[in-house]
Amino acid sequence: MLYPTNTAVLQVEGLHVNYGSFRAVVNVSFDVQVGEIFGLLGPNGAGKTSTLGAVEGLLHPQSGKIVVAGYNVQENPLLARANLGVQLQATNFQPELTVSEILQLYAGIYGVAITKEKLQAILADIQLEDAGKKRFGQLSGGQQQRVSLVIATIHHPPLILLDEPTTGLDPQSRRQLWERMETLRAHNHAILLTTHSMEEAEAVCDRIAIIDHGQIIAIDRPQTLVDKHRNDPEVIAVSRKGRITLEDVFIGLTGRTVRS
Amino acid sequence: MSTTTIPSGRTVLSSLLRADFTTQWRNRKSVVLILLIPIVILISWKGLAFKLGGAFVLSNCITIGLIAIGLMGYSNAVARDREKGIFQRLRVAPLTAWSIMASRLTVQLAMILLLTAAVFIAGFYADHISLSPAGYAVGFAMAFVGGSVYLGLGQAVVGLIKNAETVSAVTRLVYFAFIMVGMLADLGALGNTIGNAAKWSPYGTVKMILANGMQPGTWNQHSSIALAVTVGYALVFSGLGIKWFRWSSR
Repeated sequence: MLYPTNTAVLQVEGLHVNYGSFRAVVNVSFDVQVGEIFGLLGPNGAGKTSTLGAVEGLLHPQSGKIVVAGYNVQENPLLARANLGVQLQATNFQPELTVSEILQLYAGIYGVAITKEKLQAILADIQLEDAGKKRFGQLSGGQQQRVSLVIATIHHPPLILLDEPTTGLDPQSRRQLWERMETLRAHNHAILLTTHSMEEAEAVCDRIAIIDHGQIIAIDRPQTLVDKHRNDPEVIAVSRKGRITLEDVFIGLTGRTVRS
Repeated sequence: MSTTTIPSGRTVLSSLLRADFTTQWRNRKSVVLILLIPIVILISWKGLAFKLGGAFVLSNCITIGLIAIGLMGYSNAVARDREKGIFQRLRVAPLTAWSIMASRLTVQLAMILLLTAAVFIAGFYADHISLSPAGYAVGFAMAFVGGSVYLGLGQAVVGLIKNAETVSAVTRLVYFAFIMVGMLADLGALGNTIGNAAKWSPYGTVKMILANGMQPGTWNQHSSIALAVTVGYALVFSGLGIKWFRWSSR
């Protein structure tokens, strides 16, 4: 089924997630459009992972509606997940399996026919031609991220969720991953990205949402957010470089207190 | 851009099975250990086979192997994969929870088949124990029933305990407790009260249905009650294990 290019691939409306009496996500609403990289930014414990968990169907929200590629996550979880590509924060696959075997496993799970030639082409595309027989644990952090991303996109999903994908990567690997994200965007994939890196958000995101204490406190284009808040006293107070950056806006809006 | 459909259950299950069997094959050292302990006991009990009967010796060895599969193999693998986030990665794919677990359990059923066959073959060649064709067939069937008790118990342990290292420590303890109490009680070394309790414990009932199943002529009302109790244990342990189980260790 062709997905219309003028609609949201992901719609989150009035999302509430509680852990007992703790309200992790409070009335969160946003959407991600076709061919858009949308960043979800927030301090530790702000509600990013819980929001992502609800979109992935890993946790059940108290209320709210999540629609992925036209499928309600609660009503059609398998169809919604079939239209999702996910790169989790911890990229863990069975350590006994080789890279080729992991690719074959996930190709099978997503119903993608994969020949030896296609497998080799995928590995070549991520510069891992010789790594097919290596165990996943033998790869470097950057190589593991590349494999994870290729698995997340093996079925060409309309929506890709990337949970802090560049954490721990060297600058070269990070740049390479950004380029891959931009290529995916150029092919009309929508990306929901969580990150702690303001540099990354500014570099690749079309729009960002800042979430704190479970609530979205700002949502806009990165530069628009900077322009909107450049005169806020809280933002000016935390500015360090003589000019207002996205990080200044982020700290100005979420506060200086270190979160656990 | 087009939307993706759900792949067929058969395609998904065959992919999972291939990965799970490959994982088991790569962990063949632990498989060998699981098989080795009952075989060593079987060979060392060569003299006892004539005194206590071939079915008694075989049923003891298979029971010990079944405990190892359920408690040492299955539960530790599930606890490790949960801690590493392997289940969470699978669960964000279009998979049902049952297909993930069905694949895992199929591998364990293959292990039960392998163990039972290995004990029967070693018993035949090392201790010259031979059973009737019906005895072998019922023996295999009872091994599956008995194995489900320990897989259920393993599931209950990983349901109750989240930390993989604690799961490993607890299952080792339970494994040795079952074997020591079960075998000593079987040989009459622990007195009547403990002996009777052990007889109707998961160790005792599994051993009883195996021993009596291998000699279908000796199957009596007692054996049927033991079978019912064994099925009851399997249902209770599995039920609790499924109820308590969490896919993430966080």
